[in-house]
Amino acid sequence: MKPGAHPGAEAIAAKGWLAAHRYLLWRRATQLGILGLFLLGPWFGWWLVKGNIASSLTLDALPLTDPLLIAQQFAAGHWPLTTALIGALIVLLFYLLVGGRVYCAWVCPINIVTDAAEWLRRRLKIRGQMRLSPHIRYWLLGAVILLPLATGALAWELVNPVTLVYRGLIFGMGVAWTVVIGLFLFDLLIGRRAWCGHLCPMGAFYGLLGEGALLRISATRRDRCDDCLDCFAVCPEQQVIRPSLKDADHTPVILAGHCTNCGRCIDVCARDVFRFTTRFSRTTFPPAEVEKPHQNPIHQQEVST
Amino acid sequence: MKQSRREFMKTHAIAATAAAAGITLPGLTSAKANADDGIRWDKVPCRFCGTGCSVLVGEKDGKVVATQGDPDAPVNRGLNCIKGYFLSKIMYGADRLTQPLLRKKDGKYAKDGDFEPVSWDEAFDVMAEKWKAAIKQSMEENKGKPVEEITSRVGMFGSGQWTVFEGYAASKLYKAGFRSNNIDPNARHCMASAVGAFIRAFGADEPMGCYDDLEHADAFVLWGANMAENHPVLWSRLTDTRLTKEECEVHVLSTFEHRSFELADHGVIFKPQTDLAILNYIANYIVQNDAVNWDFVNQHVNFTKTPTDIGYGLRPEHPLEQAAKNPGKGKLEGIDFEAYKKALEPYTAEYVSELSGVSVESLERLAKLYADPKKKIVSYWTMGFNQHVRGVWVNGLMYNVHLLTGKISEPGNGPFSLTGQPSACGTAREVGTFAHRLPADLVVKKKEHRDFCEKQWQLPEGTLPGKVGYHAVLQSRMLKDGKLNCYWVSTNNNMQAGPNINEEMYPGWRNPDNFIVVSEAYPTVSAMAADLILPVAMWAEKEGAFGNAERRTQFWRQQVKAPGESRSDLWQFVEFSKRFKTEEVWPEELLAKKPEVRGKTLFDVLYANGVVNKYPKQTVTDSRGNEYLSDEMDHFGFYLQKGLYEEYRVFGKDGPKKGHDLAEFDAYHKTRGLRWPVVDGKETLWRYREGYDPFVPKGAGIAFYGRPDNRANIIFAPYEPPAEAPDEDFDLWLTTGRILEHWHTGSMTLRVPELYRSAPHALVYMHPKDAEKRGLKRGDEAKIASRRGEIACRVETKGRNKMPEGMAFIPFFDAGRLVNKLVLDATDPLSKETDFKKVAVKIMPA
Amino acid sequence: MDKDNHSPPRPNGVNRGRRDFIVSALRSAVGVGLAATLLAVHQRRADALPASAIRPPGANADDNIFQGACIRCGLCVRDCPYDTLKLAQLGDPVATGTPYFEARTIPCEMCDDIPCLKACPTGALDPALKEIENARMGLAVLIDQEACIAFQGLRCEVCFNVCPVRGEAITLDMRHNPRSGKHALFIPVVHSDACTGCGKCEQACILEEAAIKVLPLKLAKGALGAHYRLGWQQKARAGEALVTPDTPHQYNLPSGASYDHGGQGLMLDSPGDAEAPPFSSNPLDTLNRKGGI
Repeated sequence: MKPGAHPGAEAIAAKGWLAAHRYLLWRRATQLGILGLFLLGPWFGWWLVKGNIASSLTLDALPLTDPLLIAQQFAAGHWPLTTALIGALIVLLFYLLVGGRVYCAWVCPINIVTDAAEWLRRRLKIRGQMRLSPHIRYWLLGAVILLPLATGALAWELVNPVTLVYRGLIFGMGVAWTVVIGLFLFDLLIGRRAWCGHLCPMGAFYGLLGEGALLRISATRRDRCDDCLDCFAVCPEQQVIRPSLKDADHTPVILAGHCTNCGRCIDVCARDVFRFTTRFSRTTFPPAEVEKPHQNPIHQQEVST
Repeated sequence: MKQSRREFMKTHAIAATAAAAGITLPGLTSAKANADDGIRWDKVPCRFCGTGCSVLVGEKDGKVVATQGDPDAPVNRGLNCIKGYFLSKIMYGADRLTQPLLRKKDGKYAKDGDFEPVSWDEAFDVMAEKWKAAIKQSMEENKGKPVEEITSRVGMFGSGQWTVFEGYAASKLYKAGFRSNNIDPNARHCMASAVGAFIRAFGADEPMGCYDDLEHADAFVLWGANMAENHPVLWSRLTDTRLTKEECEVHVLSTFEHRSFELADHGVIFKPQTDLAILNYIANYIVQNDAVNWDFVNQHVNFTKTPTDIGYGLRPEHPLEQAAKNPGKGKLEGIDFEAYKKALEPYTAEYVSELSGVSVESLERLAKLYADPKKKIVSYWTMGFNQHVRGVWVNGLMYNVHLLTGKISEPGNGPFSLTGQPSACGTAREVGTFAHRLPADLVVKKKEHRDFCEKQWQLPEGTLPGKVGYHAVLQSRMLKDGKLNCYWVSTNNNMQAGPNINEEMYPGWRNPDNFIVVSEAYPTVSAMAADLILPVAMWAEKEGAFGNAERRTQFWRQQVKAPGESRSDLWQFVEFSKRFKTEEVWPEELLAKKPEVRGKTLFDVLYANGVVNKYPKQTVTDSRGNEYLSDEMDHFGFYLQKGLYEEYRVFGKDGPKKGHDLAEFDAYHKTRGLRWPVVDGKETLWRYREGYDPFVPKGAGIAFYGRPDNRANIIFAPYEPPAEAPDEDFDLWLTTGRILEHWHTGSMTLRVPELYRSAPHALVYMHPKDAEKRGLKRGDEAKIASRRGEIACRVETKGRNKMPEGMAFIPFFDAGRLVNKLVLDATDPLSKETDFKKVAVKIMPA
Repeated sequence: MDKDNHSPPRPNGVNRGRRDFIVSALRSAVGVGLAATLLAVHQRRADALPASAIRPPGANADDNIFQGACIRCGLCVRDCPYDTLKLAQLGDPVATGTPYFEARTIPCEMCDDIPCLKACPTGALDPALKEIENARMGLAVLIDQEACIAFQGLRCEVCFNVCPVRGEAITLDMRHNPRSGKHALFIPVVHSDACTGCGKCEQACILEEAAIKVLPLKLAKGALGAHYRLGWQQKARAGEALVTPDTPHQYNLPSGASYDHGGQGLMLDSPGDAEAPPFSSNPLDTLNRKGGI
């Protein structure tokens, strides 16, 4: 990234704006499209999909249920009906296939909010950074599961901003707008990717789910990398890129569960280093031994700015 | 915080409901605490059913802000029903009409135009032009005809909700002014059968007893009356007697189980129309078991029979009329007791049980009750008897039972027809706003009666036409046929309440030859079908008088001003009369008999006649010094209501039919009503009984003085089938009616948000099995079709009315579901009252 | 971004790194624990459903249990044909995202097929409820007898008229009206064995503030102490006396008197015989009575 330029500027110059935003646009389309499917009913009376992301019924046949909620129900001592179990199983299998945190990048509405906060943060060059461990989310996930055990109810759902906002969009917001604004300001002022990258227990849950997922991003042409850092700048979970991109001993496939498969790195790379593959792909171009990636100081630097 | 939020939500919810019904809520936001400060209270009778509850109306800053049941009123003692509870809100619907509206196109009246606001002048100009043209044509058609054959092309459909003054002024304007007997009240749909039967049996209209019977009877029998819902406060009195009086019994007969069955010791469901047979069975039982009160019968009763096979009041070309041997015939033929006894013989318990579906035990229980000389019995009925193709007959059969046993005209004993409207008795019947009547039981057919009327009204001899005018259903037919061209509808909503709307009524109203005027307070179905809408003052917005079912006449003062340019119906009738010169409405030979009326207006002749305008302009006050408005007095310059009333009073006092005496105008403002005849300031509680009734001579004991021989008629009439019954295509009975929460067509009560919320829509009440057979369940939308149209409403299988299999009920209050368009316009050929209770329909999922 | 985890170990780093890690983990644990505690307290408060909020049919009467079973998907809301049900929004006094209705606004129409319950994927609305008449969403309580105009003798009965469990959940108790002397009172009485808590009565109540309200069962119901039984009810339920009835009783009685053990008690064959009338039928007896006046 040239000083003063935005991440992706090179890619836009090289590939054109559209190609440099390809996955971003797809993601937005998917996020809004799914939300749109839910809204067809209340807005136009076309009930293709009913419910919300907590649990839904498509075409009066296909149940989909958030497995984290089912886990909480178990903890609360409630054995759900088969419908919900089947729904949860389908969702579980799906994310095992495509990557748990695909949920975050391609479905979750909060992602749009936090992406916007991050974008503005870059624009305004806000550098404030609260010391937050990305492991807090696991603690929180533990609390989410334990709370029903202690209280008997799905306590997390009282405050879960993800379901709250999604439900709000479909069923009526109430004062849930304050949650949206709060998250935006939190990510804008408190810390980069503070919510999605550090706290969100749903992200933690789906991240765990994503550890074994099939669909992966791979730095197949890491040989071409010119260390412009644009991919790091846009990546919501920056720690996942480095081993695959810069560690020649590491497979080019990004295997970290927290990679959200958002594809933004593919978008912003002017040199087409990244692409979607499966976790078993070992392809690199040209073969790894031909051209060793040269050392670049950035690898040793702290990623935070 | 929570509390205020909840309150907010509730207010919001009510406001939303109100908005749905088109209402603003006066004073919803105003403080409740000091609400009673500065309120002026005065008494006004309730304007809903015929019970005649008195209400205290609270006025403040020109608005009715509150009401309360009048604790000093003998009828209701401070109580009200749910409709009466909301009286203060009926005048303040958001869509109240406040200026005349005329259908116009390009600035001119056009039948196919849209309604536009016009001035009263323009409204009356257009109206008078139409009326004059129609009257001119009538005069040409009547040339050379004797007065007994005069017809007219102008007509009016009035109301049992008119004030006494309005009915009297309208009747005078039409019968004398326009020489048209085509004036009929909506009481034709309501009480005409009772009237016909009272006249045939007793020679005088209206019940002999009074509400005090409710405390004196040992047993009550309801015949086709759902008093629990439709006479709520009377029902509360009846219930109290049942609760507090030992061995008091309540028997309820109906074609379906309604709320009055909740109190019934003996509930009886019979097949429609078989009430005729059941009553004959009871009479037969009394005769066979020698339970006849011979002392009474020998002295006070004649035996007669009525012509049979009399048709169904349909158009003459209808096959049913063609097939009838004696269509419309009702002349009685005297018979002896033996002939009567023989006529009753076929009505055995077994035969009647088979016909009616009522068990022999049930029939016997009823018969024994009537036959028991120790039991005092009042029989009550409303529309079950009256809206009946043999309504006059079935009313008469009821009298037969009471006359055979002598259980009549004494405390706790008697037949009692309950009126549905606040002044069906006081206005429609007593003032005589029917097509065949004149005030105080006089009739247009009798020259002697017309003569008396003309003399009182200072009219040229022969002014009043002697031919009976078009009754309600005939008016619709004549409008459709183009024989009635100018039609004024006032204080009723016949396009919703009348029968066979699609085939007979609506085509007549929209017939391009006709001009339809509707005087209304709200945009009702009738107003929508009119050419000119005149905005009216309601209830406490005008001075008035009503007469309830127990002959109690009650007066009230004008409490508030009507909104905008609304005017009382009385103002409209009297003001409209100014538009006509006598030469424009009366033929030369009539004017020649009284030349001094030439050049005068009908207003001069009918109202400024020295009698009606006798009482000069004055301030109306009460005994506490409060002053009241009198819009009519301000406008006309004299005390119109008092003048009209005092002129009318003479008919009862000095007319050919005795026993209709009313007290002076002022007396009624000092009382919560008086029951006529009022002689020397004394009310009459039970008529025809010595001691109670001043017209019964000493020593006579009883005198039915309405009849020349002082004897009442027992009239034998057989069972005859209804005009229409379920068949293969239309396989269910349908009956229509009312519910407690709404008054008639709902034009007022549906505009009260709370009442709207409590019963927003008409439901079709069905037996669960009937619903199931048709693929319907409770809450489903169903289509109900008769040969004349169809409507849709939701199915109710476990509501207030429990229907027997094969029968459905739909109330008619809902303007969104015009159930009466399903109803055949078959009438009792004698009373001309439509049978709204026996319609053949089919029901299917919508 | 995060020094603790991604910076390379400092020179004398191993111990320090471990310490940092422990401190960091502790910090996370304490923070999360605190947040969880607050949330648990919040949950306790959310378990107390406001009295005006009614759960759909089949919801457990204990709202805590319901909130453990409901995943806030809104499918019940979607399948409610009358728009009765709504999902609590953030800021509502009901646990956010859970379904409820307010009777005064839109009551439950008691659909025979209970579509809301059928839509529930988790069984939070208990599929064991087959007949809507067996639903116990709450209990109607005629809460203000002073405001209810029926108690004053006015003929209202709107609650009775709209009640879908007709004649069972609400009945009219007819009584004499001592004030008017001539009229009856028609007092609505709610029966908990039939009332489903649908709220039609509350919605229809014509007063400015409803006098009849549906309350959560917990609020509405009293309970007889477990130590006491109503004898006549127990006997009726058993169909016979719980303790063997007495052997026949015999009494010392003057002639003409009898005693009914279970019924009327002392009975005198004829009152005339039991006590002499004050006056003889022969007036002379009275007039000539000895002993003066």
